[in-house]
Amino acid sequence: MLIKRNDGQVARQRLASAYQGLSGGGMDRRGFLRQAGLGGAGLAALGTLGAGRARASGAATGVLDHAKPVTRVKNICTHCSVGCTVTAEVQNGVWVGQEPAWESPINRGTHCAKGAAVRELVHGDRRLKYPMKLVAGEWRRIGWDQALDEISAKLLQVRERAGPDSVFWLGSAKFTNEAAYLYRKLAAFWGTNSVDHQARICHSTTVAGVANTWGYGAQTNSYNDIRNARTMIIMGGNPAEAHPVSLQHVLAGKEINRANLIVIDPRFTRTAAHATEYVRLRPGTDIPLIWGMLWHIFQNGWEDRDFIRQRVYGMEEIRKEVARWTPDEVQRVTGVPGEQLKRVAQMFATQKPSTLIWCMGATQKTVGTANVRAYSVLLLATGNVGANGTGANIFRGHTNVQGATDLGLDVTTLPGYYGLDENAWRHWARVWGVEYEYLLSRFGSKALMEMPGIPTTRWFDATLMPGEREKTAADGEAYVAQPHSLKAMMVFGHGGNTVTRIPESIKGLEKLELLVVADPHPTTFSQVSGRRDGTYLLPICTSFEMDGSRTASNRSLQWGAKIVEPIFESRNDYDVLHALTRRLGFADRMFRDIETRDGKVVAESILREMNRGLWSIGYTGQSPERLKLHMEHQDKFDLVTLRGREGTPVAHDYYGLPWPCWGTPEIRHPGSHILYNTNLHVKDGGGTFRARFGVERNGETLLAEGSWSKGSEIEDGYPEFTVAVLKRLGWFDDLTGAEKASLERHFGANIDRAAWSTDLSGGIIRVAMEHGCSPFGNAKARAVAWNLPDPVPVHREPIYTVRPDLVAQYPTLPDRRGFRMPHLGQSVQARSAAAARDFPIVLTSGRLVEYEGGGEETRSNKWLAELQQDMFVEINPADAAARGVRDGGWVWVSGPENASRVRVKALVTERVARGVAFMPFHFGGFFQGEDRRKFYPPGTDPIVLGESVNTVTTYGYDPVTFMQETKVTLCQIRSA
Amino acid sequence: MRRFLPLALLALLAIAPAPAQAQNAGMPQPLGDRGQPDAAELEMRALLRGEPIAGRISIPDAQAAKLIQPEGQQWRAFHNRTLAWIGGVAVLGMAALLGLFFALKGRIRIGGGWSGRRMQRFNLLERANHWMVASTFIILGLSGLNLTFGRHLLLPLVGPEAFTAISLAGKFAHNYLAFPFTLGLVVMLLLWVRDNIPNRLDLDWVKAGGGFVGGQHPKAGRFNAGQKLVFWITVLGGGLVAVSGYVLIFPFTVADVAGQQVAHMVHSLLAVLMVAAMLAHIYIGSLGMEGAFQAMGSGEVDYNWAKEHHGLWVEQELAKARQSTAPTGAKAAGAD
Amino acid sequence: MARMKFLCDSDRCIECNACVTACKNEHEVPWGINRRRVVTINDGKPGERSISMACMHCTDAPCAAVCPVSCFYTTADAIVLHDKDLCIGCGYCFYACPFGAPQYPRVGNFGGRGKMDKCTYCAGGPQQDNSPVEYIQYGSNRIAEGKLPLCAEMCSTKALLAGDGEIIASIYRERVQQRGYGSGAWGWRTAYREELAV
Repeated sequence: MLIKRNDGQVARQRLASAYQGLSGGGMDRRGFLRQAGLGGAGLAALGTLGAGRARASGAATGVLDHAKPVTRVKNICTHCSVGCTVTAEVQNGVWVGQEPAWESPINRGTHCAKGAAVRELVHGDRRLKYPMKLVAGEWRRIGWDQALDEISAKLLQVRERAGPDSVFWLGSAKFTNEAAYLYRKLAAFWGTNSVDHQARICHSTTVAGVANTWGYGAQTNSYNDIRNARTMIIMGGNPAEAHPVSLQHVLAGKEINRANLIVIDPRFTRTAAHATEYVRLRPGTDIPLIWGMLWHIFQNGWEDRDFIRQRVYGMEEIRKEVARWTPDEVQRVTGVPGEQLKRVAQMFATQKPSTLIWCMGATQKTVGTANVRAYSVLLLATGNVGANGTGANIFRGHTNVQGATDLGLDVTTLPGYYGLDENAWRHWARVWGVEYEYLLSRFGSKALMEMPGIPTTRWFDATLMPGEREKTAADGEAYVAQPHSLKAMMVFGHGGNTVTRIPESIKGLEKLELLVVADPHPTTFSQVSGRRDGTYLLPICTSFEMDGSRTASNRSLQWGAKIVEPIFESRNDYDVLHALTRRLGFADRMFRDIETRDGKVVAESILREMNRGLWSIGYTGQSPERLKLHMEHQDKFDLVTLRGREGTPVAHDYYGLPWPCWGTPEIRHPGSHILYNTNLHVKDGGGTFRARFGVERNGETLLAEGSWSKGSEIEDGYPEFTVAVLKRLGWFDDLTGAEKASLERHFGANIDRAAWSTDLSGGIIRVAMEHGCSPFGNAKARAVAWNLPDPVPVHREPIYTVRPDLVAQYPTLPDRRGFRMPHLGQSVQARSAAAARDFPIVLTSGRLVEYEGGGEETRSNKWLAELQQDMFVEINPADAAARGVRDGGWVWVSGPENASRVRVKALVTERVARGVAFMPFHFGGFFQGEDRRKFYPPGTDPIVLGESVNTVTTYGYDPVTFMQETKVTLCQIRSA
Repeated sequence: MRRFLPLALLALLAIAPAPAQAQNAGMPQPLGDRGQPDAAELEMRALLRGEPIAGRISIPDAQAAKLIQPEGQQWRAFHNRTLAWIGGVAVLGMAALLGLFFALKGRIRIGGGWSGRRMQRFNLLERANHWMVASTFIILGLSGLNLTFGRHLLLPLVGPEAFTAISLAGKFAHNYLAFPFTLGLVVMLLLWVRDNIPNRLDLDWVKAGGGFVGGQHPKAGRFNAGQKLVFWITVLGGGLVAVSGYVLIFPFTVADVAGQQVAHMVHSLLAVLMVAAMLAHIYIGSLGMEGAFQAMGSGEVDYNWAKEHHGLWVEQELAKARQSTAPTGAKAAGAD
Repeated sequence: MARMKFLCDSDRCIECNACVTACKNEHEVPWGINRRRVVTINDGKPGERSISMACMHCTDAPCAAVCPVSCFYTTADAIVLHDKDLCIGCGYCFYACPFGAPQYPRVGNFGGRGKMDKCTYCAGGPQQDNSPVEYIQYGSNRIAEGKLPLCAEMCSTKALLAGDGEIIASIYRERVQQRGYGSGAWGWRTAYREELAV
C-alpha cells in the first residue's frame, strides 16, 4: 500500500519539466487551467468561492461552430505504409477535427495512436515556421528568397570546384510520389546518382533480394488479403507496433480461418502476445532458421513439387545447402529447439495458404539481402506465391517509402528500377523530352553517370574520405571513387538519428561546407554537431498541406487532397524544388511538361508525366482522375478482394490500382492486387514471374514450364516482350498506326530492340495483354541468384557477434569495395572475440507505436509525446539483477566503437531473453549524456528528447545495398 | 507440466506404432495464446488471490498501471453505509443522550453555591490555545460532516450551486485550518500531558460514576478521569486524524489508492467519534455544569466549584500559594 | 432506450494507443490528464494481454454514490456524466472507482486537485449540446450528433467496442464463437466482486 516516494515525485517532475523545459512554447498555465474547467478564477483566491460557469473563451483549436458548414477532406496518414485514410473536418481554413474514414477498405475508419493524432501536426506548435540560417552558432530568421539564393549560389560554387557528385541529395519517404519523382529528376539534371532516401535503411535489402528472385521487390499480396491465410509467419517484424492497423486484418484472418499465427522474434513483442506459436531465436540467425525449416520440409516431402518444377529454377542447389542445417546444428546456432521448428515448418508447408510477413528484423543485417532471398525461397518451395492468402507480405516502413522507392530515390537506379545503364538513361531522356547528350553533359563522366552513387548509410564516410583527385598514397583503399569527396548535403525530410555510427556522422557533418535541412521540423541534424555556419533550415509543409499521391505497402496508390494551406511560412516540396532549380539553371528543361498555375506547381501534371514514363512497373494506368475516383468511391471496394463492385463507377478496379497497372489510363487496367497470380487473366490483374535474368542458364531453361496465366495464348514460358518477339509471334501488326509511329520515332533502325518497358506508346504492353500474356515474360523464379555475392543464401555471423566461436565456420564477407567506397567485413568481425567479452549483451533496436522514424515530428506532438517520455533500454531481469539495475533506474549503455555510450532508463522485462537488450530508435536530442535542447532553434525543440540508439550502433553493411546492421550488435549495460 | 508432455508423448509414439490420427493428437501445446490463459482466466486468478489487477503502462503516472482496484467498492460501502451509520448513531445518539441527561438531571449546580471568591485555573496561553483548537475543530468537524451528510441534509435545502459554494469553502477551510488545529494539539500536549497521566484516583472516580449518578463528588486532581479521557481522545484521536488527514491532502505521496482509502477510513471514523465525544465535552463545559465554563472563559473559577469538583487540585494550589507568600522557615500559626 | 457501454476485447487489443490519442484529439485533453489508458498485464510473458480502460459508465456508479456534492448524473442513454461547476475536487470518486477513471489536473494547493475530469463517452456535459462552452469544459459531444465515442471508432483492430450494451455483447459473442475459445468480458467479476453471467 505504501508506495515509494519517488513515484509521486516523478509524476510531478514529469509535468513540471514538460512545461519548464520547453523553450518558448507549449501550453501555458492559463490555457491549461482553462481547459481543466476552472474558468478564469484563480484557484488559490479564496475570495472567489463561487464556482462560476467557465467563460467560453474558444481558445482550444478543436472548437467547432456547429451552426456553420464544415468541409470534409480526405488525405492519407503520413506515418507508416499501411496507408490509412484520414478524414479531416475543416472550418474557416482550420483543421478542427478528425472523423473515422469508414469508407476506406484498408483501415475502415481506424487508426493507431499516431494516425489518431495527426491533426496536431498541422496545428504545428513546434514546427519550423520560417527559413533559418545558422550564423556563428545562432539561428537567424531569413526570407525564402534569401535562403534559396544563398543555397543555390553555394551549390553552384561547390559544383564548379568539385563536380556534381560532391553534393548528396537526401530525399524522403515522406515525399508524395510526385515530390519523390521531382527530386530524382532533379538529381539527374544536377548530374549525380547520389540521391537516396529511407528505403536504404529500411527495405533496400528486400527490394534487392526479392527482385533478384522473381522480378519485383514489393509486397506480393496485401494487408487485406492476409484475411485469406491459414498460416501466417511474422518473422522479423512487430506489426502490432509498426503497422497496427494491419493487425486488424491479421487478427481477423486468425479468427475467421482459425489460422496459425507464428511469430519468430528475439523479443516477445506485442505481436508475439497474439501469436498461436512464439519462436525465440538469437538475433542474426535468420538463414539457419529458414534453412532449418526447409530441412524438415524437404525431409518429409512437404514441398510443393509441381510448383517448383514449373516455376522455380535452382532448387537443387538450395537442397544442398539446406542439407547441412540439421536440427542439431540449427539449435546450436539459433537456439530454437528442433521439435518447435518442425511443427512450424509443417504448419507453413501443409496448412496452406501460408504467408510470410517481415519487416526490419529480416532486412537490417549485413546478410539482409540473403535473408530476404531465403524467405522467398521458402515461399517458393512451399508454393506459397501468387495466390490468395499467400505471398511475401512485406510491410514497408514509412508512409510513402514504397512510392519513393518505385520512383527511384535510390543511388542504383532511375525511376522505375530501370537502372543506370545507357538504355535506362536514354529511356528517361525520351520521357523527359531532353537529349541524352544533355544529361550526359551534366555528369562528371559517362562512367560516373552509370555508377551507383553514395548511399545514405555512409554519406559521412564519403565526406571524411578523400576523393580520387584528393587522395594521397597514404590513404590506401580509404578513398571515394569519384573526383572529390562530398562537400554539401541537401536533406529533404530525413532524420539524422536513424543511421548508425552517429559519432562518426557528427564528424562528417562538421566537415560539410553546406548543410540544408528542408523539413517540417529541424531534425537532429540541426543540433547534434558542432556546426556554427553554412547551415540552412527550410520549412516544408506536411503532406496534409498539399495534394499528391502516395503508394501504400500493398502497391495501391491513394490520392491525398490538401486539407489546409501550408502553415506559417512553410511551402510544399514541389514549389521549393521549382524555385531551387530555377536558380540552379535547369528549371526550364526539368519542368518542361509540368504545369504551374499562379506560380504553384500542379501535382496532377507531375503524375501525368510519371504515367508517361514508368512502364516497367506499371505506374502508367493510375491517372489523377482514376485515383480521385477511387478516393470518392472508397466504400465500393470489397474488403478482402479489394475489387470494385459491379454497377459502380469503380467496377472491376482494384482499390488504388495497385501497380503494375498496365498500359495507358484509357485501357483501364484494374491494377494487380496479387502479384504473379496465374489464376487470373493478365487483363484482370493476373501475372507470372518476370523473365529478368535471361532465357537459359547452364543448359537449363529459365522460362516457366507448364505454367501460364489464365487465358494466355502462349501456354508455356516466354521471354519479355520486345518488338522482335512480337514480330516472331506475328503480333507486330496488332499495334496501331500511332503506336508503330511512336516506336519508329524513338527507336528508328533499332526498332526490334524496343521493349515493353521502353515503348512510350504502351503498344507492346497492350498487344501482349490482348493475347493474355504478361509483358515482362513468363519465367521461373530464381532460387539461385548468381549475380549476388551469395548466390545461395548462406549463414554469416553478424559483424559484432556474441558467438565468436562460430565465426570460423560462418564468417562474414572478406573486405571489398562497393558503392565507391571500401566495405570492410572480416577485418571488423575479427574484433568480435574481444568485443564479445567486454560487450556481452546483444543489442537490437526497433520501433514503438507512438513514434515514427527519427521521431522529431512525433515527439513534437504533445498527444504522442506524453505516452513515451523517456528513452529506455529493455533488459532481462537476470541481466538487470546481475548489474544492480532497477526498473526505471538510469543506466549507461556502451557500444564497442568510438567509446560511445548513452544514458537511458532501464525497463526490466522478460520481453527480451537473457543476454539480449532492445532500444527504440526514435529518440534524439541527447548525446552521450549531454542535453542538446538549447541548440535547436527556439520554439522548435521537440517536447520529449532522449538519447539516440544509433550513437552506440556499429559498422556493418549488406554488400548488395549497404543496408546497416541495426538489428544485431553488441553492448554493455551498467548502472548509472 | 506442459513442457514434459511433448517428451512423454514422443516416447509413446516412438514405442507404439501409431495411426495417423494419434500423431496429430500427440502434438504438444505450443507457446502461444491457444494454450494460454485468456483474459477471463487471468482475471479470475487475480480475483482469487484478492489482488487488484495491474500491469505495465508507458505514461509516468503509476496509479494508471492499476487496471482494476476492487477495494473501491468496499470503500464505497464503508463511506456510504458504515461511516454514515456509525457517525449518525454516535453524533445523534450522543446528542440524544445529553438531551435526556439534561431533561432528567438538569444543570449540575454548585453544591455550596457561588462563594464569590475565584482562583485561576487556566492561563492565557492555555485558554487561547484551547479556543484555537476548539474553534478550528468545530469548523473542521462541520466541513467534514458535510462531506458525508451534506448532500442528504443540506443540498435539498439550498440547491446545488449554493451547496457547492458552501462545500468548496468548507473544503478550503478544512485544508487550511488543519494546520493550526494540529499545532494546537501539540501545544495542548506539551501544556497538559503531565496533569493528564492516569493514576489510581481516576479509577476511584470512574467507580464512583464521576458523581453524575448519586450526587457524591468523588475526589479529583486538576483533571478528573473524564477530563483525562477527553484529553487523550483529543490528543491521540486528533493526532491520528491529523496524520491521516495529511495523507489525504497530499494524495499519493506516501500511499497508493488503497492506502488513501485506509487513511480516509481512519480519518473519518475517528473524526465522527471525536465529534460525538466533543459534544459531551461541550455540554458539560457549558450548559451541563454551573461554574464550568468560567475555567476556559475568564480562566478563573469559583472557589466552591473548584473545591467540589477538583478538591485535590485546590489543596495543591493553596499549598503552592502559601509557600510563595510565607517567609522561609515560618510556620503557619494555628492553621495546621 | 439504449444503454451505452464499453467493451475491450483483450484478444485483439495490441496497445496501439489509438483510443488514447483519439480521445486527446477530439476533446483537446491537456497533458497529464488521461481519460483513457491502455494497461498491459503479464507484459513480456505468454498470456500477455493489453486492455484499454476508461470510465465504464457503471449502472450503479460508485463515483456518483460517494460524491459529497452529488455532481454526477446518468443520462437516458445510461452514460454517467458529471457537472464540473459543482465538483469541489475532493477526490472521493477516484477512491471509489474500481477503474481509476477520474483524473485531476493537479493544480491545487497542497498537491490538491482541480475539477475532476473523466471520459464522457463523448457525450459532453450539462452545458448545452455542442456549444463552445461545453467543448471547453468537457470536450466534444458526439452522442448529440448521433455518433459514437471516437476511441472505439478509431481502434485499430476493433478491439474496443462502444455502443448499446446488447449490440456489443452480441458482437463479442460472435467473435468468441468464431475463435472457439475465451469467454467473459473483462473486469466485471473483479471490479464488483460479484458473480455475473455474461
